[in-house]
Amino acid sequence: MGAIIEFKGVALTYGATEVLKAINLTIEPGKFYTLLGPSGSGKTTILRLMAGFLQPSAGNILFEGQQINTVPPEKRKVNTVFQNYALFPNLNVYDNVAFGMTIKGKSPAEKAAKVDEMLHLVKLDGYGQWEISELSGGQQQRVAIARALANEPEVLLLDEPLSALDYKLRKEMQRELRSIQQRLGITFIFVTHDQEEALAMSDWIFVMNDGKIVQNGSPVDIYDEPINHFVADFIGESNIIPGVMKKDYLVSFLGRDFENVDGGMRPNEPVEVVLRPEDLDIVSEEAGKLVVTIDDQSFRGDYYEISAHDDDLNQWQIQATNPVEIGQRAGLYFDPEDIHIMRLHEDEAAFDARIEQYVEDEQDEN
Amino acid sequence: MQSERFKAPWLKLYLALVFILMYLPIAYLIIYSFNRGATMTAFTGFSWQHYLDMFNDLRLMQILVNTLIIALLSALLATIIGTFGALLIYQMKRTGIKNIFLSLNNILLVSPDVIIGASFLILFTMVGFQLGFGSVLMAHIAFSIPIVVLMVLPRFHDMDTTLIDAAYDLGANRWQVLSRVILPYAWPGILAGFFMAITYSLDDFAVTFFVTGNGFSTLSVEIYSRARQGVDLSINALSALLFVLSLMLVVVYYFIATGVATRSSKKAGHGQLKVVDPQ
Repeated sequence: MGAIIEFKGVALTYGATEVLKAINLTIEPGKFYTLLGPSGSGKTTILRLMAGFLQPSAGNILFEGQQINTVPPEKRKVNTVFQNYALFPNLNVYDNVAFGMTIKGKSPAEKAAKVDEMLHLVKLDGYGQWEISELSGGQQQRVAIARALANEPEVLLLDEPLSALDYKLRKEMQRELRSIQQRLGITFIFVTHDQEEALAMSDWIFVMNDGKIVQNGSPVDIYDEPINHFVADFIGESNIIPGVMKKDYLVSFLGRDFENVDGGMRPNEPVEVVLRPEDLDIVSEEAGKLVVTIDDQSFRGDYYEISAHDDDLNQWQIQATNPVEIGQRAGLYFDPEDIHIMRLHEDEAAFDARIEQYVEDEQDEN
Repeated sequence: MQSERFKAPWLKLYLALVFILMYLPIAYLIIYSFNRGATMTAFTGFSWQHYLDMFNDLRLMQILVNTLIIALLSALLATIIGTFGALLIYQMKRTGIKNIFLSLNNILLVSPDVIIGASFLILFTMVGFQLGFGSVLMAHIAFSIPIVVLMVLPRFHDMDTTLIDAAYDLGANRWQVLSRVILPYAWPGILAGFFMAITYSLDDFAVTFFVTGNGFSTLSVEIYSRARQGVDLSINALSALLFVLSLMLVVVYYFIATGVATRSSKKAGHGQLKVVDPQ
């Protein structure tokens, strides 16, 4: 399938500040995309460029192959769900959802059918005559989604739409958004700073930092193979330790050599080693590959969050199902595939090429 | 604490005194409009005589109609001009220029009526404009515009700008954004501005006094000139009538203003009976 939206070297500058730096991205139809990054990373700016509220200072934005840099928002086949919902307070639910159709001069019968369909989709059947001020935050959120979808966009842009909802409602809306996207089969582009949300919902994630796309890939790729310190730290909790890649499949850190599954680097190249807290098992001192002293633990419902330090005073985060004793010395065990290696200053293209190369090597060996 | 303090009996007394002080002259005026005698020296019995005199005074009735027409027409035009003026000030990007315009607006609001009236008189005579209905109307529109701007502008500033983004996003053009989103949002302010403009026009004396010609007059000017010639109780009757009229204006405004607010809750309440919350 061809791309529905493409960014080719899109940059945006306000005076001297570079908000976006030469962004290249490709959006394919029918997928759920997430732009993930801390606030100020430029993710909402990308969304506003797609919606037409901003125009790029350089580069081209293409929609189905056509350049749309200066096409105004009302002429684009995309619709937006705004962070604060932006529902019209003087109109009731029905008129809000029908707004786009009223503008286009659709017949009352056509409008009524579509509004009913949309309200059913977001589980607000019969709410047509309600005023916006009478709805809860979660219901307003649903109306905003119904209003945007009633315009039958080819791409739906969602700008941190769940950030104002409480935890439980947010989880529920995540599932619902995902199922709405799959049912309608249109493209969703979702902006969030919540990595859990991004991992749970997306087909494809763009991780952004400082006006650049740092890494993009499927949730599993990004979680398992973070490209650098920033991504590893931002996506989930990580233990990051400096190390040296002695040769393929052998890494040295904390003064010891460990077998691992990464390769394709120079011999004795300095690297960063990532170990995820949930990949670490607490075992007896003798059985452990590393020895740590437990500092603290807190109960998180489905697991214990344990912090510890090793003899070189590196901090470790461990997730365990069973409680431990504070002050106790314990061993840490992990498998070779739990060790993730990040090269210093590797860009995305080189990273992808190396991963590809090394996967091919691995297949050749098998 | 707050409510406790307001229950203090001397506070109620204070409030009562203030209101008595404010309404005593008006009450005195109205009571004597029903006097059988021809002066305000003593109340000699009840009579509708002064009201009959007033309604039979065709000149006075003509002036009453003039006054109402001027008030409604000037308020309407001032509201339209003032609302769009407020919109332009709202859309100004440079705060310096915005503040200059706002200050110019507010200066008109606080400057003495005598000065505004005198300057209008000079202007109209300089350009050779015939004094009369047109000059009074223009003067009233001019001094009503600043108050409309002042009532409407806060509503624009109050509005979330993503509403405008959302309207564009859903396919609205500039005119549709204005007519379907911005103006409905500012409607309570526009309405308040309109009613304020009516009251400003109705009770204006100073400006009108300068710009009325020979053949045209409004109530305030007419009452003033009659009061100078000697006390006539039909003026009391007219004052009573105007008082009732302004009371009605307040009531009408109250119902329109609360109507805008309660319309929503009534409808929603209606819905609540039929609809089961899915959550």
